[in-house]
Amino acid sequence: MSVVDDLVSAIESIVKGRVDEYSVKVVRSRSVMVKLAKGEISVTQSWDDLGVGLYIARDGKIAVLEYETSDPREAISRSVELIDKLEKSPLYAPLPDASGEELSFVDPRVKEIAESGDASGLISDLGLEELGEVAGMIEASYWEKRLVTSKGADFGEEGTSFEGYLRAFRGEASGQWSWVSTSYDVGLASRAVEKAVELAEECSKLPAENPEPGRYRVLLSPMIAGNLIETAARSLSAGAVFFGFSYFADKKPGERVASEVFSLRETPRDSSLPFFAGFDDEGVATRDKELISRGILKTFLHNTKTAKLMGAQTTGNAGWVLPRLFNLHVEPGDLSDGELFDALGNGLYFTNNWYTRFQNYPQGQFSTVTRDAAFIVKNGKPVACTKRLRISDTMPSLLSSIEALGKGLWQIKWWEVDVPTRLPHIIVSDLGISRPSLEGGPRL
Amino acid sequence: MVEDILVRAVEKALSMGASYAEARFHSNRGFQSYFLNKQLIGASHMDETGVAIRAVVSGGLGFSSTSSTSWDHVERAVERAVASARTSSARLKKPVVLSEERLGRARYQVEEKIGLGSLSEHDKIGMVKEEMGSVELDVGDVKVQSFTLSYNEWVEEKAIVTSDGARIYSKIPRVEVFYNLSAAHGDRRANRWNQVAGTGGLEVFKESELASTINDDVRSLQISLAKAGSPPRGRLDVVLSPEIVGLSMHEAAGHPSEADRVLGREAAQAGLSYRVELKEGYAIGSEQVTVIDDPTIPGSYGYYLFDDEGVPARPRVLIDKGRLAELLHNRETGHLYGVGSNASARAVDYRSEPIVRMGNTYLAPGDYSFEELLEDVREGVYIKKYMEWNIDDYRWIARYVGLEAYIIRQGELAEPVRNVVLEVSTKDYFSRMDAVGKDLTFFAGTCGKGEPSQPLPVWMGGPHVRLRGVEVR
Repeated sequence: MSVVDDLVSAIESIVKGRVDEYSVKVVRSRSVMVKLAKGEISVTQSWDDLGVGLYIARDGKIAVLEYETSDPREAISRSVELIDKLEKSPLYAPLPDASGEELSFVDPRVKEIAESGDASGLISDLGLEELGEVAGMIEASYWEKRLVTSKGADFGEEGTSFEGYLRAFRGEASGQWSWVSTSYDVGLASRAVEKAVELAEECSKLPAENPEPGRYRVLLSPMIAGNLIETAARSLSAGAVFFGFSYFADKKPGERVASEVFSLRETPRDSSLPFFAGFDDEGVATRDKELISRGILKTFLHNTKTAKLMGAQTTGNAGWVLPRLFNLHVEPGDLSDGELFDALGNGLYFTNNWYTRFQNYPQGQFSTVTRDAAFIVKNGKPVACTKRLRISDTMPSLLSSIEALGKGLWQIKWWEVDVPTRLPHIIVSDLGISRPSLEGGPRL
Repeated sequence: MVEDILVRAVEKALSMGASYAEARFHSNRGFQSYFLNKQLIGASHMDETGVAIRAVVSGGLGFSSTSSTSWDHVERAVERAVASARTSSARLKKPVVLSEERLGRARYQVEEKIGLGSLSEHDKIGMVKEEMGSVELDVGDVKVQSFTLSYNEWVEEKAIVTSDGARIYSKIPRVEVFYNLSAAHGDRRANRWNQVAGTGGLEVFKESELASTINDDVRSLQISLAKAGSPPRGRLDVVLSPEIVGLSMHEAAGHPSEADRVLGREAAQAGLSYRVELKEGYAIGSEQVTVIDDPTIPGSYGYYLFDDEGVPARPRVLIDKGRLAELLHNRETGHLYGVGSNASARAVDYRSEPIVRMGNTYLAPGDYSFEELLEDVREGVYIKKYMEWNIDDYRWIARYVGLEAYIIRQGELAEPVRNVVLEVSTKDYFSRMDAVGKDLTFFAGTCGKGEPSQPLPVWMGGPHVRLRGVEVR
């Protein structure tokens, strides 16, 4: 019996009879991460974790117990009593009958690197020695998880993840790109590295120019579009609706929320991206689903609790208390890489961003700051490089202004994109841009 | 005894060829409860306890951790950390060397005036519900549609042993409340979230005047939604509240002073800093501007007396009378700069390496009263609360958008205005600060940095200030 199985059995025997319902999830994971700065390895890190999550319910009261410790059995035995001290929850709904399916994908090479903690091959395989002044991160992970519920679920999965991002510097210019996969796909990683270098080099060759604040046609790279579209997917979680963090709260399935060229899917069954799963935390089968189809809202994301409150069905997105996101996929358009700038015509091309913040969640009013290479495009040609601009607009307006999408898809996950997302470049026809005066600023 | 295991781990790393080794037992144990529209949704217990190992081998740095305190797992973590350090050393131009320091051998803990264990979970839930009972969710024709609140308490316990002599044990309890109000007035909607937190026991909650703070936020939403008009545009005098000043000290003075950021170690994540180019002594602001980071403030959310490399904490002056002063250093960056560490190494949990972080960052108070700041403003804006903010990754252009703001006319507060945008360069911001109030106030925040992410408790503080002729939109 493995450590994971052993723990699940022990925890079941502790909680049986003391609560009405339970769901036990045990995840064992190992990872290794190499961080780069100025072309050197700044640190190599590795982790060996055993995480236990336990959902318990009795008489309509709910509690969650979470442990990362040597052995949580004693603590769990004590903490089960927490349920006595609670009140009936307005979110409570009975755990559903098990319907999940097991879905695993393990790349042996990724597993070997993660289990051994030996990251020495990652740098040479990607040819990073030759790249000069780069910064970034490469990570290989392996996990196995088991979920058992009082409603008959007993599922196990295992998976691997190979992901990273790189920021390349060329003089005062920089470019950044990322990749994510469940496979040791060196080709995918190399294309991301090449893209970061290409953007930095292209920007370094162009003159600097500062556009005036105003409204522009904008080409968003998959890096920045991934960050912004993730906020849309999070806004579709019923949890965000209840908690006041959704800009779709006043919308209903069937209503238009984006332009007709935009379609967003959630893809838990896509085992090429690491947030895949065949079952959710309630033991319900996951399914790939349209969230927004040709601009029309198709569904919010639910577990059984939020579904009950909104008169809907679970979408297989539990989270014990609130729904969670698996992988995301934006349907590609028909513009080839070579046609993107022509389709943009005159406008701005932003390749990366950070620090997205909302002034007003219910109305989706936000700003985000561009970083790395950003281009002024005239007549379909990049003519200057700019920096430190800010997109200041609302997400409903941005989604409605999506004009066209590229057909090339990238697999993105990095510091500002938490959820693995496969998506193309996106052209937005009308986006607000701001910046302050930069007198006396640093050159970089 | 876990400290015996840490000593054994350090000895094991040294025997495997490490020139430096550090073992940290790190535990965060807590209780949370969650409320929606004043009703309890549920509660949770959490316990994250494990051991972190850092080792330097041939100038390379390695880190490994395990969620176990048994020797078998810790020994394996030591082996992985040493192997990782060897991997790092293979492609180094500059070896990692830690500065020599007078390291602590100390045990300390924050006292709980009202012990976290003095109330049962049931009674704590009752305590929060009683406080929420005084919250008014409907003001006039503005209705709060969603009010969520989480109560969070946890005890952080650490034991640190380094191969060069540090032996630190610490125990720090914290209490934090986070809430969000989402309100509507006709078709117009807005939200306000807020965080109240400090170190200590239940007195942090009981002394926080939480209901009054929430009621004031409801009132701010009402003003913004139902009463406020369009903001003025152009170059105006602006008076900022301590809430915004505190945040701006964290963003525009604290983060750019992190030496690891200046050295490029966080370049692909949290970014770089204007201090890559602008060196110590550079005049970045008016003489009114002195910014300090001090982890030793009693009761503060970012409190500690020794950092996670065993270095005794002290206040750090980041901007001194308008001139850039010291950076925040750990022992690695302190060695590279030849100035030593000023105790800025912090790790959020056992899975995290200690990196350069702030404690509690604030603008030193001046001697103006709020009325004196206003009195010679002929036409300007007072921004009292914000919701949106961000800054570029060189920490040079910031944006703060007001939730509650007022026109200042002839030295007096006049009508409220909505969504005032202050978008300003760091130099413009600090240089145009001509008067600083005496009402220093601190606010809790969760600072983001690191890969994997290390969200860390901090305080951010400042008094009211006046800016002359800044661009407002």
